[in-house]
Amino acid sequence: MSESTKGNRNLPLHPSARWLEQSIASRRSVLKGAGAAGLAALGLGGATAAPRPAAASAVLQPEAARVARRLLQEGKDSATVAVEAAKALNPKPEVLNVVWEDALQLEDPKNFSGPMWEELTGIKINPIGKPFTELFPSQIAEHLGATGAFDVITMVPAWSPDFIAQGVVAPLDPYIDQYMNKADLDDYHPLYKSLMNYGGKVYGLFDDGDVIILYYRTDLFGDQQHKDAYKAKTGNELAPPQTWDDYDAIQAYFTEVGGGQTYGGASQRAPGQVYGWFTEEFRNRGGKFFDEATMDAQLASDPGVTTVAAMVNRNKTMPPGVETWGFMEVLTAWMSGQLAMIGGTWPPIGRWSEGTTAEQLNWVPQTQVAGKVGYSIMPLGHSLHNSGFQLAVSADSPSQDAAYLFCQWMTSPEISLQRVMLPYALRDPYRLSHYASEEYRARWASAPVYLDTLKAAADTALVDLIMPGAAEYNTAMDNAVTAAQAGTPADQAMKDGAAAMDAITDRIGRDKQKAAYAEFLKLKGSYYS
Amino acid sequence: MDASQPTSQTVAGPGLAARNRRDGWLMVAPAVILLLGLGIYPLVRALTLSFQRWELQSPEQPWVGLANYGEALRDARVWASLQHTLVIVVFAVTLELLLGFGLALLLSGDFPGKRVILPAMMLPVMMVPVVVGLTWRTLWDNQYGPINAVIGRIIGHPPNIVWLANQKTALAAIIVTDVWQWTPFMLLILLAGLTGVNPELYEAAALDGAGWWASLRDISLPGIAPVVAVAVLFRGLDAFKIFDLVFMFTQGGPGTSTETVSWYIYQLGFKFFRLSYASAVSFLILILLSVACTLYVGLFLRERTT
Repeated sequence: MSESTKGNRNLPLHPSARWLEQSIASRRSVLKGAGAAGLAALGLGGATAAPRPAAASAVLQPEAARVARRLLQEGKDSATVAVEAAKALNPKPEVLNVVWEDALQLEDPKNFSGPMWEELTGIKINPIGKPFTELFPSQIAEHLGATGAFDVITMVPAWSPDFIAQGVVAPLDPYIDQYMNKADLDDYHPLYKSLMNYGGKVYGLFDDGDVIILYYRTDLFGDQQHKDAYKAKTGNELAPPQTWDDYDAIQAYFTEVGGGQTYGGASQRAPGQVYGWFTEEFRNRGGKFFDEATMDAQLASDPGVTTVAAMVNRNKTMPPGVETWGFMEVLTAWMSGQLAMIGGTWPPIGRWSEGTTAEQLNWVPQTQVAGKVGYSIMPLGHSLHNSGFQLAVSADSPSQDAAYLFCQWMTSPEISLQRVMLPYALRDPYRLSHYASEEYRARWASAPVYLDTLKAAADTALVDLIMPGAAEYNTAMDNAVTAAQAGTPADQAMKDGAAAMDAITDRIGRDKQKAAYAEFLKLKGSYYS
Repeated sequence: MDASQPTSQTVAGPGLAARNRRDGWLMVAPAVILLLGLGIYPLVRALTLSFQRWELQSPEQPWVGLANYGEALRDARVWASLQHTLVIVVFAVTLELLLGFGLALLLSGDFPGKRVILPAMMLPVMMVPVVVGLTWRTLWDNQYGPINAVIGRIIGHPPNIVWLANQKTALAAIIVTDVWQWTPFMLLILLAGLTGVNPELYEAAALDGAGWWASLRDISLPGIAPVVAVAVLFRGLDAFKIFDLVFMFTQGGPGTSTETVSWYIYQLGFKFFRLSYASAVSFLILILLSVACTLYVGLFLRERTT
């Protein structure tokens, strides 16, 4: 392990982290008598046994650890160590139950990495698909019900405080110390490396660089007629937008010339997703989620009202009905050439735009924009890292060593590169070696620009709110934005949103949340101003 | 029976009776255990949970008495979701009743093809609610949906109504879809009611010169009134629990404008894991519904049946 990494992972426990540890311990005792039964009462699960405690002190398998030590001394990489250590496990589990996002995401462990791991180690992978919206509740519910149904957990960084508080995931530090080639930790992009650390411990290995970037049509932006017309109309050069005002002007221009057939741009505006776009622009405009001193929500501030008003106004030059558009609608319109820009979305769209023959993607519209796509960091300079997955080990797993080794193998430089390059991949580059990979950069003509943009965006990215109750806060912001989109005045929507956030803070406890927010503020990417 | 005659019990002795009782208990035990385990115990446990404070972020689960109930009574979203739910129930059930009754009148006579038409009309009731939601979400789509296409044909230009993103139209879309799915249920119940009315009453009325309207008012309606009351009760209770359409259409949005009671409780319990509070809101709603049902039964059913 490098010194810097060691330093990160040995941070003294922050008060909020201490609270989390106490929380885990006390919850355990209560759950014995009441928890699982209560869940049964609500139909969450029939088990009445108390959940197994989080593996605060993991007991590593000696033979596997010995093999790992020998290989690491020989300088072997993390993937090799994981495989050989897994082979040396005694007892060795026959199957690992791995929770994963459903549909296309599931293709990776089902058809690629799962079979490969089984061939290498003899341990079968059983991928259990869940819709994204069900990943958080189902994993919590299985833990509270003490079902032990999962060995490997899928965790979004924003969920980590709640997962850790409930003891859903086991700390990985002992496993990393024992099994990982520490040079591979330094291969993580610094943003993602920092996101793996919560309260001085590592609970998940980062596995998905979900940074939002802007996509634009290079053929339209390079067209002299458009350049001249746009300059005549606005006095500005037609270029990838640096501010939201630029974006709005360009979007309005292309929508006007599109005559109802094509549009200047679109962004995801559907309930459940739109908060991400709000939190990015809000913070780029100088907004803060909370007042550090009072923990009062700051949505009803000038940046909040300006942002939501601008978003609502921007919708007017997007395709009609954009208020219901999610990832799929934006993808469809973009691939069919209906849009001049995407006002930010996740990385897979950049790869798919160049065409794919993967059987798994035969539902994606045939691309009309191959070779015509440019990439840019979002207006005002800071893209959002929205969602993103980490692989974690279930505290309820009876096979934690094997589960960890699978996570290490999956996220190792060698295997993860193959996974982020799968034609149907929804996992996006997150290691420095991914961005620099010659193989990846040769995939299509503008792949180097794509990868450089993703890295540059990650360099300065804002991160999702990461603190207890994050899911509730995000829902409160989402509700506020969708209410504004449906006609509620911007200032009223923001006041309502702030009131909802304050109620959440009051319920969880101002002091607790103040400590947790202070921890969030230390994260690279919480704010930039 | 002659008391002097020996019964099987006396012949076999008290041992057999005890064995019979024991065997009886053993035979019903699985059902009793299932009932207690899956019905009674969870209900009691959920009730006790509602007096605790058990939340995802809370390290302790202390007893808080009626605090969760007090909070629920003060929670504006509980009342707002109740209001949205009642709007759906009142409009949907009323429309279903009127349409169902109209269709039942149409189908009450014999005509060719009735055996095909009637089962075909039942198809929406048999559809999985999520499939109904998915199908109708496509129908309500502002760009590609047939509903806007038809309106566009009529008015001569695209109407550009974003049904599911507008606070008023989203609720209307939910109601219309519910009416489409559940009107056949009303039809079936009311048709059964109409079929049960003694035909001799109609014949006698016709002899007395009563017209269609008079027969409907004085024979059909009083005859099926208890059936109507039961149908409205069943459908009202079912509509009160509406979840699937909200889930598929709006997720309670825009904002919280289509949030129903079930959706709000789901959010509280299964998304934010405020299990105690979700239990308290559930019991509060259960109490409200029980009172409403008792009043309804007292007002309509008891009076009608007596």
